[in-house]
Amino acid sequence: MLLHALLGGVVFGCYFTLVGLGLNLVFGVMRIVNLAHGDVLMLGSFAAYFLFHLAALSPLSAAPLIVVGFFLLGLPFYYLVVPRLAASRDAEMLSFILFFGVQQIIEALAAIAFGSSERSIPGRALGIGAVHLWGQSLPRAWVISALVALAAVLALYLYLYHTRLGLLTRAVMASREEARASGIDIHRVSAIAFGIGLALAGLAGVFAPFMLGSITPAMGSIINLAAFAVIVVGTLGNPLGTVLGGLVYGVGLLLMQTYLSAWADLLPNLLLILVLLVRPSGLLGRRVRLA
Amino acid sequence: MKQGRRRGFLNALLMLLFTLVSASPIAARAEGAAPAEIKIGHLHAGSGPYASISMPVYDALKLWVDQQNAAGGAFVKAFNKKIPLKLISYDDQSNPGTAATLINQLITQDKVDLLVCDSGSVLTAVAVPIAREHKMFLFDPTGTGAAFFSKDNPYIALLADPVSTVWPRYLWEFLKSDAAALGLKRVAILYATNDFTGTQASAIRAALKEAGSPSEIVFDQGVPTSTSNYSVLIDNIAATNPDIVLELGYVGNDIAFLRNLQDQDHKFKAVFTLYPGIETNVLMKNVGAQGLAGVFTYVTALGLSLKPEIGMTVEELRAAFEKAYGGGGVEFGWNAIAGHVTGLVIGETLAHADSLSQADLRQAVFGLSGKLKTLVGTFELREDGAQIGELTPIGQFGPDGKLAVVYPREFATAKPKINAP
Repeated sequence: MLLHALLGGVVFGCYFTLVGLGLNLVFGVMRIVNLAHGDVLMLGSFAAYFLFHLAALSPLSAAPLIVVGFFLLGLPFYYLVVPRLAASRDAEMLSFILFFGVQQIIEALAAIAFGSSERSIPGRALGIGAVHLWGQSLPRAWVISALVALAAVLALYLYLYHTRLGLLTRAVMASREEARASGIDIHRVSAIAFGIGLALAGLAGVFAPFMLGSITPAMGSIINLAAFAVIVVGTLGNPLGTVLGGLVYGVGLLLMQTYLSAWADLLPNLLLILVLLVRPSGLLGRRVRLA
Repeated sequence: MKQGRRRGFLNALLMLLFTLVSASPIAARAEGAAPAEIKIGHLHAGSGPYASISMPVYDALKLWVDQQNAAGGAFVKAFNKKIPLKLISYDDQSNPGTAATLINQLITQDKVDLLVCDSGSVLTAVAVPIAREHKMFLFDPTGTGAAFFSKDNPYIALLADPVSTVWPRYLWEFLKSDAAALGLKRVAILYATNDFTGTQASAIRAALKEAGSPSEIVFDQGVPTSTSNYSVLIDNIAATNPDIVLELGYVGNDIAFLRNLQDQDHKFKAVFTLYPGIETNVLMKNVGAQGLAGVFTYVTALGLSLKPEIGMTVEELRAAFEKAYGGGGVEFGWNAIAGHVTGLVIGETLAHADSLSQADLRQAVFGLSGKLKTLVGTFELREDGAQIGELTPIGQFGPDGKLAVVYPREFATAKPKINAP
């Protein structure tokens, strides 16, 4: 039981790394809190659902389309909202309020458009059956989702550390003002990061029907709580720290399910409180907070 | 004996107080002129985790109100005429705090004549004490938690579902008789920790632990209602080597559980889950016939084709519902039927109540007990307002996705199978 919980937790945690990755990138670059992150993920889920049912596109084929689509949606949205927000005196707090409103609007519109019933993509779309690892069996969809999540982390790492745009992005993350003073077009860099953040949320959404059983317009707020726990644990503002946060969350959740199942949904709150009290800068600490 | 007499006296005193208090401010309109409309206050969850069980109830209730108004309104005995109905329904967004505020608003601001709470036990739980405090009679469509019903609270009646302590009666009887005869003796219980499924789990546990029971509980754990992955839990259950697994949760829980079960190596001899027989369309779309094959569940009106003495048949209601809301993302299922039954009980209450006072409304509702036969069976109330009619037999899905009744034997259309398919 313990080995299964640990192994399952690592795989599950990889997926939750993907869930939190975009949120942490956006916060790291823009210092704004995208409370609508979970609802963007929900939209990604519905996009995958409709692409599967209407266009017979498997989730793996739909994923690149959704990534590109959400990235392109993120660019105009950034220019519409974020520059004004970033120029305000308390951008972090205002972003809470603004994106809370955006979240409510997205959820309400989704409920009107899609209805309230649960929906999902058949398991066969990613292959029904178990994958065996070290004598333990795990759902195939979990393993595929985890691999996609790791690929996304790797891609983000390569972008941040091996491209010129990534270098500029890290400069903005280190200091927005200094980056501006150095002549960096911070809005262009930030818009791209915002687009990537949305694309990562959309990508996580593609696999939500398999990881969460089913999808509804209401799933966003639950996802948000998990995503916040992941990024706070893994160090707020450090996208790659999200990996650690995701693993702690995944393993913690499945251990709770094994040994204290009735209390399992307290985990995100417990992790948040614990980290904020003991190590407010996150497990990786301040040294790497600025990437 | 003395104690019983004293309890009887106290109950009588309570009812007298109820009658005296309820005859006053909020509802007493009996002797005056007929109102232009009868206001029905209601809450629904347009979003959030309970939307999928709440919206069908709301839509079906709205449909019933529209049908009544199209025919000139509902007949109200107190005024001996038909009066149009006005449904005031607020969206509580599945939030109990919001539901509490809105229930108060319906009572104190809108001054509704009849009060109907939201669906499901989680959102009903907040309405029960508020209705009681305001001495408003609460029409409870589907909140089945046992804690809502007590002899000292005359302000509630459960309309469309049996109370959770009674609902699983056929299930525990089945487990102790036919299932045990098939060798399904080691029972695992996994339940969501809310009033609805928590109470069902308690009732089943108590029945299986009775002296002489052939069943043995080998796994018994609660999980949060928000649980959306069961992989590790299934592995933990498998480690206890059960013969039959009972998974008691809401729609989302059952979907996630059955999907995870498909994805894992563990195949149990038998599995029972709650919602495949309640919201069959939703489960079929999300899990598929293959995933449901062999699964035991409750058989509701959807699978029974009972002949109602009042209101529509299941097929008539399905056609009307889909004509009104088809493609709107709200599936027709048991909860839509519950909304229709709620409308029927309200209609019969108005047709029998001597006035619109809360005491007379209560008396009218309880007067229907044992007499009203709807598409879900006989409406029957216990003294405390708990629904004890409308029992749901046990069924099993075949490989073709068809649900057959397997228990009790008088309703059975097939024999239970293990390791199926």
